[in-house]
Amino acid sequence: MALIKNNNAQADNWQYLTEDSPELSQNSIVSLEYWQQNKTSLTQQETLGLRVLGDTDPSEFVNELARFDIIAIEIPIFTDGRAYSLAKTLREKYEYTGEMRAIGDVQPDQALYLTRVGFNSLELASDELRELALEKLAAFSVFYQTATKTN
Amino acid sequence: MYLYNEFDQTLVNERVEQFRDQTQRFLSGGLTEEQFRPLRLMNGLYIQTHAPMLRINIPYGLLSSKQIRMLAQISRQYDKDYVHFTTRQNVQLNWPALEQVPNILADLASVQMHSIQSSGNCIRNITSDPLAGVCADEIEDPRPYCEIIRQWSTLHPEFSYLPRKFKIAISGSPKDRAITQMHDIGLLMRKDAAGNTGFEVLVGGGLGRTPIVGQTIAEFIAEADILSYLEAILRVYNRHGRRDNKYKARIKILVKATGLETFKAQVEAEWADCKSDALNLDKKAIQQVKDFFVEQDYSRSDDSKLDNDLANSGAFRQWFKQNTREHKQAGYRIVSLSLKSPHRAPGDVTFDQLNVIANLADQYNFGEIRTTHDQNLIFAHIKTEDLFSLWQQLEENQLATVNIGTITDMICCPGLDFCSLANASSIDIAKGITDRFTDNAIDIGDVKLKMSGCMNGCAHHSIGEIGILGVDKKGEQWYQFTLGGSDSNECQLGERLGRAIAKEEVVNTVDSILDVYKQHRNGDEKFATTLKRIGIQPFKEKVYGAH
Repeated sequence: MALIKNNNAQADNWQYLTEDSPELSQNSIVSLEYWQQNKTSLTQQETLGLRVLGDTDPSEFVNELARFDIIAIEIPIFTDGRAYSLAKTLREKYEYTGEMRAIGDVQPDQALYLTRVGFNSLELASDELRELALEKLAAFSVFYQTATKTN
Repeated sequence: MYLYNEFDQTLVNERVEQFRDQTQRFLSGGLTEEQFRPLRLMNGLYIQTHAPMLRINIPYGLLSSKQIRMLAQISRQYDKDYVHFTTRQNVQLNWPALEQVPNILADLASVQMHSIQSSGNCIRNITSDPLAGVCADEIEDPRPYCEIIRQWSTLHPEFSYLPRKFKIAISGSPKDRAITQMHDIGLLMRKDAAGNTGFEVLVGGGLGRTPIVGQTIAEFIAEADILSYLEAILRVYNRHGRRDNKYKARIKILVKATGLETFKAQVEAEWADCKSDALNLDKKAIQQVKDFFVEQDYSRSDDSKLDNDLANSGAFRQWFKQNTREHKQAGYRIVSLSLKSPHRAPGDVTFDQLNVIANLADQYNFGEIRTTHDQNLIFAHIKTEDLFSLWQQLEENQLATVNIGTITDMICCPGLDFCSLANASSIDIAKGITDRFTDNAIDIGDVKLKMSGCMNGCAHHSIGEIGILGVDKKGEQWYQFTLGGSDSNECQLGERLGRAIAKEEVVNTVDSILDVYKQHRNGDEKFATTLKRIGIQPFKEKVYGAH
């Protein structure tokens, strides 16, 4: 995976907690299900990330939104636009100011729109795609819509 | 009309370059067909039966003579010397080469045109009343609001990957000429008791496989709030619309499944959250756009020459009666240019005709041309003293067929001849209908016939007074008839006549239907009125009894 954060290529310090890498650390991003099942023990964590799907209902986690340093929203296929509305809702309605990351089927041609609705980090499949995405982020210099604030 | 400023122009230019790059990457293997498809569709590019098809936006049906000349030039340079006007006031090229499309878009951008979101699962071209600004019954000119909504929806980052396409129409008159009830969102301009401008908002209408008439979700939304209200509807739809089945993905299905009241509650909850300052439309911003739509510089004129011309020519008189309409300004008429001549497919216009239209628009019509959802063009500001000379030139160029509103002024999609979705052809049937009825179209009277080559219903067959739908039965083309649909003020879906009709019997069937109408009508009675009075049974008996 190749990360773009705040419009720059960056190294990724976060790790997804999965069956293959089940070691919980201060850099763990856990699934919604894992978090819901382990809320009590996870209070020990100083830093924590949450992974949700683009169609997850925000009511499942917004009550404790401020607890997360990063929310990773998974896009199953790039034509599924639900993640865009979820991101915008988290930023504008729930005033989430942490890192918000698009993961899954994230392609260079959608990179700009994703950053306009509140994502400030994007996970691309390869360095090559990351280069292309960085280029595409500058494709437009004008917009009819205001950008969603990310902090 | 609205003119681009530097900002608008930059955006369209950047879009052209974006698509040029995407096309190159597709051609060189950098993008897969699956990845490229939504991108090209969002630029109006389909891959069709014979060649790609490029749909170009005509925002709310308004064109300048300069833009028409560019369409002519493009049709010559990149296509086969003609263009096709659509039922959503847009225009299509049927034969462009994929590699040339970025160049076509660059040429279009040079005259402030584009194809952004003319297809794809996003907010499509905003359509409106072709008589906006010139009809006497208008509450408010809808065009400035169309333009504001066009800008808001253009390259909208949140609403570019919706469950399905999304169409918005706006009408400014009590008499709806924009089929707002058959749109995902229909906006009807209204004034509240205090005289403030706003909109009645309809939601969940649509044609296609499951035609549904839209319902009122809000009686009055003030103009200042219209963008935030639209955003709220779109967000609810984007989050909850079905994505598992493309035939059930339109907002009409969501509204039906959710129930209007629950859907409305969801929208209002969302709206409370998105009434941000950024979406608030202040008076000044609205006025800036309104300034582009000021009334034309009409001169004082009386009808004495017209009266004389009418007295002297019967042919002119017929055309005047059928193809022109009242204008709010005394001494002016609204003229329809019929694109339903017997010489070509409905909605098609040749290179030569486009240039003639541009010249006539400059000479007589302040350089303006409008497109209509029934696939004709309109000159909206013709001085009555110019009518005779205009008519002669239109006549010479096969643009004055006396048939506006009649059976031969039919709406017809490209059908099997061009469209990869179609089940049956429509152009040859249209030709059969034109050949059979041209001589007595006026005697038959105003009957709206709409014919689609498949269930997607691009030609709005379900709201045609006579609707014809092409279906495929084991590889053969058959046609399903409906009667009594309506696209005027109160939209209504047609009732099914009976079993599908074989291709060679379609024109005879239309003839039989018209025979029943002619036999039963009282005086000038409209087709719909006769049908309502006598019911569908006499039509069934005539059609199925005879075959």
